[in-house]
Amino acid sequence: MSAEMANEVKLISGRSHPELSDKIAKRLGIEVARTISLNYSNQETSFTVGESVRDEDVFIIQSTATGDVNEGLMELLIIISACRTASARRITAVIPNFPYARQDKKDKSRAPISARLVANMLQTAGANHIVTVDLHASQIQGFFSVPVDNLYAEPSFLRYIRENFNPEDCVIVSPDAGGAKRATSIADHLKTAFALIHKERPRPNVVGRMVLVGSVEDKVAILVDDMADTCGTLVKAAAVLKENGAKSVLALVTHGILSGNAIETLNGSCLSALIVTNTVPLGDKVERCPKLRVIDISPTIAEAIRRTHNGESVSYLFTHAPV
Amino acid sequence: MRGTLIFAGSSCPALTGKICENLGMAPADAELSQFSNGETSVRILTSVREKDVFVVQSGSPKINDTIMELLIMISACKGGSANKITAVLPYFPYSRQSKKKSHRGAITARMLANLLGVAGVKHVITVDLHASQMQGFFKCPVDNLHAEPLIARWIRQNVPNWREAVVVSKNAGGTKRVTSLADALKLNFGMVTTDKKRGSNMTASMIMNHLDGIERQPLLDTLSNQVRNNSSGPENGVSAADSGQARTSQPVTDSQASPRRANGLPQRTSNNSRSPLARAPVASSQASAIDELDEAEQDGAEYNDQRAHEVTHGRLVQGHIVPDDFPSPAMSAADASMTEEDPMTMSHASSFFAPTPHALGGSGDAESSDDEEPFLKNPKIEHMITLVGDVKNRTVFIVDDMIDKPGSWIAAAETVVKRGYAKKVYCIATHAVFGADCLEQMQACDCIDAIVVTNSYPIREDKARNASKLVILDLSFLLAEAIRRNHYGESISPLFQHILD
Repeated sequence: MSAEMANEVKLISGRSHPELSDKIAKRLGIEVARTISLNYSNQETSFTVGESVRDEDVFIIQSTATGDVNEGLMELLIIISACRTASARRITAVIPNFPYARQDKKDKSRAPISARLVANMLQTAGANHIVTVDLHASQIQGFFSVPVDNLYAEPSFLRYIRENFNPEDCVIVSPDAGGAKRATSIADHLKTAFALIHKERPRPNVVGRMVLVGSVEDKVAILVDDMADTCGTLVKAAAVLKENGAKSVLALVTHGILSGNAIETLNGSCLSALIVTNTVPLGDKVERCPKLRVIDISPTIAEAIRRTHNGESVSYLFTHAPV
Repeated sequence: MRGTLIFAGSSCPALTGKICENLGMAPADAELSQFSNGETSVRILTSVREKDVFVVQSGSPKINDTIMELLIMISACKGGSANKITAVLPYFPYSRQSKKKSHRGAITARMLANLLGVAGVKHVITVDLHASQMQGFFKCPVDNLHAEPLIARWIRQNVPNWREAVVVSKNAGGTKRVTSLADALKLNFGMVTTDKKRGSNMTASMIMNHLDGIERQPLLDTLSNQVRNNSSGPENGVSAADSGQARTSQPVTDSQASPRRANGLPQRTSNNSRSPLARAPVASSQASAIDELDEAEQDGAEYNDQRAHEVTHGRLVQGHIVPDDFPSPAMSAADASMTEEDPMTMSHASSFFAPTPHALGGSGDAESSDDEEPFLKNPKIEHMITLVGDVKNRTVFIVDDMIDKPGSWIAAAETVVKRGYAKKVYCIATHAVFGADCLEQMQACDCIDAIVVTNSYPIREDKARNASKLVILDLSFLLAEAIRRNHYGESISPLFQHILD
């Protein structure tokens, strides 16, 4: 064993998603490191690592809570910076839902590529490695000059579908053209049919007209997407699928951001269920929305941390969900 | 100005408007909003290609959102092929986190400097950085403007009898800022320090060791002299009268320690036995001051009139000065007997030991004014508050770089009024951060007569309207001038000079 192996995993949790951190820590059989994180009266964030991280392999788990994205991001940067100054050997930022992932291109004149900015900020703060789940666009990996492990929720979704439905009754539906690849991949694994909804989107978070491509008649239509934000798209898509004769409609989404009136929209929709992973802290949303179900993604993340630390391949996780 | 665009961040549209007014131009168009998930959205609505771009952003109650917005605006301008992007930050966020205060704490200010660089900033303009060493965090040039000339001018024009006033620092770390203003106005200065009541079984060598570790500042230098002086006597047998003598005969600031101030004031030589800290500018009050001193000395040990001493102590419970017969709270009861032993060693030495974060901080120069606050409010702990310098019947300017929490300001104001018998108290700071109900508490404090701040940090209008003591000085001319001079490549040095009028 090299000296590389002598150091230990230090798991540091940001304030945004302590439940996920606890689950990952439990899975790894270690404790979350003691830290002090607080806001001054002028809302500046202050952070102190409560135990030595010198020469340790540090993993910082920080999701971004809906509505508090900047708060979470700044805290993450400050934690990284604190660990860097405290002589950590390697700092891995575990960011289950990458913030600003949708602002990844200059789609209008002078539009900021905020995702690249975030990537640069993380590296400037001192991150040596990034672990994330279902990046909105895989190209974001190219914004970094450090390694990025983009984990997939797909294996967990596949297992969920196999456990709860007969794949032959299902049709996998992508709510937009951009997500077609993700949906076809699941359909291929399940060997089921595939459909696509084409939509016109005049402005962000506003949904225009929708057209279904493919057949969903008398089938369970499963919408697949990477994030559910205001849920406008999903709900409209579900209505279109119902109109086209789907037996029932459910949605499998990695990041349940669920901002604005998402919960009310969902409760009043014809979606029978929305299944999300716990990459984003959901708070009381599960109680408020009986249609919301959660798949635990922590085994995948914990396994990625273990493999990264031990220098093993992470590829296995792209096709298998650890039990 | 041709080829220049000034963008306003959402924190300070009013200040940016004034800056632009000064420059005779309109702020550039940008749409700033948030997506429903809380991510910041920026749209630059005008061409920035090959322009000289200035982005003005101050602090706000949602400081992290403000920072992200600034970074995204800069990034968007950079992506839009701007020629040069300058960040104008009247209040530099996270400037108090400019050093490792605890083990494994973050130097967030340095990180922020790096983040600005990464976003695409080529130049930074800011006002009164909490620690001027922070300029070294940047790879790009930093113009750290000073509000002091503005404040000094305001004092000269608005404070009656300002020539008789005393400038007071409310903590040891801010002394340098205070001496600078005192020098500019040619005023006396004083200092208030707060520390926990604690046992004083420390020896002189311990104290010297610690003082040696501290960067020699004029005041500290002479304080260490005093300690040496005091401890050369019998260990505990120094009577009150003796120690009073020792204090007054030892100048707290000698000419070597403060050469600039010694020069233009010849009357000092006639008054050498008295400390220059309390030297009176006119002959008549000199005489009265000496009378007072004599009185005190005649009364000897049992007459404990603290007015005559250079060093005044007060008891601070729950952030307020209490009378000497106030019942002692539980925690200080144990060491109450210790407090009587050797007041000099106690007050000064222990203020260098505490609060603990000092230990890593190096020079006390960048000392956070907040460091003392967490234990100030603890009802169980009694503090010793010490006033160095004579403020009797004078106007007092308590000066620091920012007002965030009210505790130390109110404690200092009460000390100079109730213990030092000051006539009027002005609280003066550049950055009016006013966390929580700070402004309301300071407004309610009877010992504070005015709060003088600048508009570097946006102050909520409804708050300002209810605070009759609040005076807001306008920084926009200073910033506008810095922008103009930067654009045309002129020197900004004149902006640091005091305007004498």
